[in-house]
Amino acid sequence: MKSVIKTLSEKLRSGQITSVELTEKYIEAIKRVNPVINAYVHETFEEARRDAEYADRLIKEGKGTPLTGIPFTLKDNIATDGELTTCCSKILEGFRPYYDATVWKKLKEQGAVLLGKTNMDEFAMGSTSETSVYGAPLNPRNTARVTGGSSGGVAAAVCADIAAYGLGSDTGGSIRQPASFCGIVGFKPTYGAVSRYGLIAYGSSLDQIGPMTHSVTDAALVYDAIKGEDCADQTSAPVHMGPTALNGDVRGIKIGVAKEFFDGINPQIKGAIDAAIEQYKNAGAEVVEVSIPALKLALPVYYIIACAEASSNLGRYDGIRYGYRAANYSSVDDMITKTRTEGFGREVKKRIMLGTYVLSSGYFDAYYKKACLIRKRVESQLAECFEKCDVLFAPTAPVTAFPLGYSGGNALETYLSDVCTVPVNIAGLPAIALPCGKDKDGLPIGMQIIGKKFDDERVLDIAYFAEKSKLCELEDVEGGVRL
Amino acid sequence: MAISEKEIKTLARLARLEFSEEETKKFVPEFEEIINFADSINQQVEGDTASIREVTTRIATWDELREDEVKPSLPSEKITSNVHSDNGYFAVRRVVK
Amino acid sequence: MKYQLVSGLETHVELATATKIFCGCTTAFGGAPNTRCCPVCTGQPGALPILNKRVVEFAIRAGLATHCTINTTTHLDRKNYCYPDLPKAYQISQFDKPLCEHGYVELESGKRIGITRIHIEEDAGKLVHESGFTFIDYNRGGVPLIEIVSEPDISSPEEAREYVEKLQLIMRYIGVSDCKMQEGSMRCDVNISLMPVGSTKFGTRTEIKNMNSLSYIEKAMAYEYSRQAEILDNGGEVVQATMRYDEHTGETSVMRTKEDAQDYRYFPEPDILTVVIPEEKVEEIRASLPELPTDKLKRYVNELRINPANAQLLYKYKAVCDFVEKAISLGAGVKNTVNLTVGTLYSKLETEDDKERFNLPVTAEEMAKLVKLADEGKINITLAQKTLSKMAEEGKPVSAYISESDLAGVDEGELEGICKKAVESNPQAVADFKAGKEKAIFALYGFIKKATQGKADIKKADAILRQLIMK
Repeated sequence: MKSVIKTLSEKLRSGQITSVELTEKYIEAIKRVNPVINAYVHETFEEARRDAEYADRLIKEGKGTPLTGIPFTLKDNIATDGELTTCCSKILEGFRPYYDATVWKKLKEQGAVLLGKTNMDEFAMGSTSETSVYGAPLNPRNTARVTGGSSGGVAAAVCADIAAYGLGSDTGGSIRQPASFCGIVGFKPTYGAVSRYGLIAYGSSLDQIGPMTHSVTDAALVYDAIKGEDCADQTSAPVHMGPTALNGDVRGIKIGVAKEFFDGINPQIKGAIDAAIEQYKNAGAEVVEVSIPALKLALPVYYIIACAEASSNLGRYDGIRYGYRAANYSSVDDMITKTRTEGFGREVKKRIMLGTYVLSSGYFDAYYKKACLIRKRVESQLAECFEKCDVLFAPTAPVTAFPLGYSGGNALETYLSDVCTVPVNIAGLPAIALPCGKDKDGLPIGMQIIGKKFDDERVLDIAYFAEKSKLCELEDVEGGVRL
Repeated sequence: MAISEKEIKTLARLARLEFSEEETKKFVPEFEEIINFADSINQQVEGDTASIREVTTRIATWDELREDEVKPSLPSEKITSNVHSDNGYFAVRRVVK
Repeated sequence: MKYQLVSGLETHVELATATKIFCGCTTAFGGAPNTRCCPVCTGQPGALPILNKRVVEFAIRAGLATHCTINTTTHLDRKNYCYPDLPKAYQISQFDKPLCEHGYVELESGKRIGITRIHIEEDAGKLVHESGFTFIDYNRGGVPLIEIVSEPDISSPEEAREYVEKLQLIMRYIGVSDCKMQEGSMRCDVNISLMPVGSTKFGTRTEIKNMNSLSYIEKAMAYEYSRQAEILDNGGEVVQATMRYDEHTGETSVMRTKEDAQDYRYFPEPDILTVVIPEEKVEEIRASLPELPTDKLKRYVNELRINPANAQLLYKYKAVCDFVEKAISLGAGVKNTVNLTVGTLYSKLETEDDKERFNLPVTAEEMAKLVKLADEGKINITLAQKTLSKMAEEGKPVSAYISESDLAGVDEGELEGICKKAVESNPQAVADFKAGKEKAIFALYGFIKKATQGKADIKKADAILRQLIMK
């Protein structure tokens, strides 16, 4: 793992390259690489050039931050004033918000350079990014494989280095799982640590924006730039506002290992994580066994709650105020039904239907209400774990990147692949996914380090040990910028 | 848990979605699969479900609520910038054949 | 009467906050379409609601003023339904934990109408159907409402009217709403069922939606009563339904029946945190409540000895009460203050709205000065009325109309002289009076008033006149 942001930032500050020049390099790389991997769905090159000029001014005036002048990408569900924001859905075709997401506003002020919006599962509903209306992005490490999802476009763009970093969103693993499939770092902060304002909602009580980067150092730099309470998001919370200190000193830390996380996972993945834990042990960490009996239930609970919230959140796409509108209809009500029927893809419709079902009278108590109760149980069992350890180590996914097209015929199996990531969202915890090896097909294996609420900086610091000790070095993918 | 085609229709109406006969037939088993999966929580939970809204998120204090101070609104051209509008109104033709 | 009417009301009251419930847009009435909007109140993707503190405060005020208990741990819920005036396809409301519960409103008769609950929610936008289009304006979208749900304690249209009037009065007193039904800042859904007199088992109910006038409420209830009674008389069954009232025909008609009832799929609003309201805050709000209308009326009659008819005229308008009470506190006598207000000022306050706001350029201080002159007999009541009338029109102080010299103008000696002249120039009246016609003395009063331009104290003049005549 190398800090791309630090490298670029030093070059910019020392005058070896300007942001305008750097941006052109990225634009050129996108034009070359993107037709193959389909990471970007909306390019914002004009915006990027303006951003770069502003960044160069900031640097000249000595007002730069580590992110000033560095080109990056946003997932297509994060609102950008005047630029297409479509959630990779037909129903939001042509939609240009007239407001900025708080995270983009913060980055823009620091002179970050927005290259474009990246591919994703439609409305972030999926684990492979194949439900995108623009077609799936391809995994740069093996283009016959999926990138994972739903933030697959960001993962592919960062992996191929046609973005220095990106922001994704994570409702049930959508940052961490594609990061692992593509062999990069993905960090999901504590629920509330980063503002959700401008993030187009999927499951509001689970959604969280976070960085997807080449390294832990980069993840910490980006996290520092976007974190903090926001008066436009009441669920955001105050957090420590200084820079995250990374020492990578793991002496005396207690690593919790819950066997429930390892049930039924690919043995190669288990092997890679065991090996990583060994290295932490060698550096002075202690391993404690913990148990989370309710963990298995987290997955159905996640699907019930996420879909319930989604069925409500997606009610607003009615063709009246934005996006797609059906061409022929017999009444306003019929227009709404036709717009939605034509505008949403299969997976989205399925989840809306499931959410409608679990909230409908007669089923509410058996599904939604009970799911909320179990959610509490999962949360409290995880909290109990953290009385015995500082962080939990777990796989990111029970499998490595699926072949393209595989999930279409294996819906439930694909759902099950979220088993290791959803408990974190259910409990609102911070977790980082980072590469820890490769399987026999050469596909990256990811591991997760999960912390307790608002222990984001600790999680980053413990993950930094892996970077510092070169625990796992994956080779660069050909074709990107790679300065 | 078995789901009837009629139930699918009712849900679809609530969700403002339409499925053709053929789509519904195809959808029923898929939907049942996911419902049965969701149902797995029901085989394993005992205890009360009375108070569901305890601390999964923070609790807000009185001072965190927004003060009642007017902020400028946006011009209607912005508000309606993404669709057809008429004199500042969002406008939907009632019938289009 | 064969059947007992059983009715409960759901009353929506728009709160008089400066901003909407979840964003900083103004709540001011009117405005060009979609000019009082932002991403939040038009349901733009990614926008998030931020709860307005004053909305919670006003709802608590309303709850305390109707004797409710306050749920200090409260959250909001989503009520999901699809309609073009609702931009998010859900209304943020409260379902299982309303802010206020278990209160009542007391009617004149002493009967209490129970308040089941009061919760906060957002208003929807406005639709205009015209020339083949539906036009949508979201200016009203997100304006804060409270919904006040009564128990089915109302047993006649008259009681319903009184209940709504009392609510209006209370909400205006505590300053949370102007409750203007014609502008839609107060509207009612009326639930009605019938049961045989003496029975305790409620019949099937219907709900008449969106009533925006007191007289329509009464008329619609009366119509619905006879409609249901006729069905029952013929051995039929009332069908549970949502009705609308046509103000032109005076009839109710079915909008939808139970079969196509909505399934609102309520669930806790994840974008807004549960709020814990400190007990001290509730007590602070309680302490800040003004005297409530029923209490004021009782005090006016029992303590201030204002006659009940005048007390009724006054207590409906808090601004008027404030004016009267302030004048009294500055030393003005109750009787003259009340009479001058109800007599002279009310004729200048033509509309309800004028009375509501006490829309006159007369201050309580000037009123007190004027009333004190009358109280002390320095001016007579007719002059006081005339002066007050001018003050109300021109907004000038008492001193602009009555100067010190005016007041000093008719001293005892001068008055005696004038009285003598009056007796001398009206022999017939004097003779009549002597013969026992009491009223004959009025002619002498008239002479004196004319001679002194109304400045003479008639009481004093009367005493002098009687002395002169009886000499």
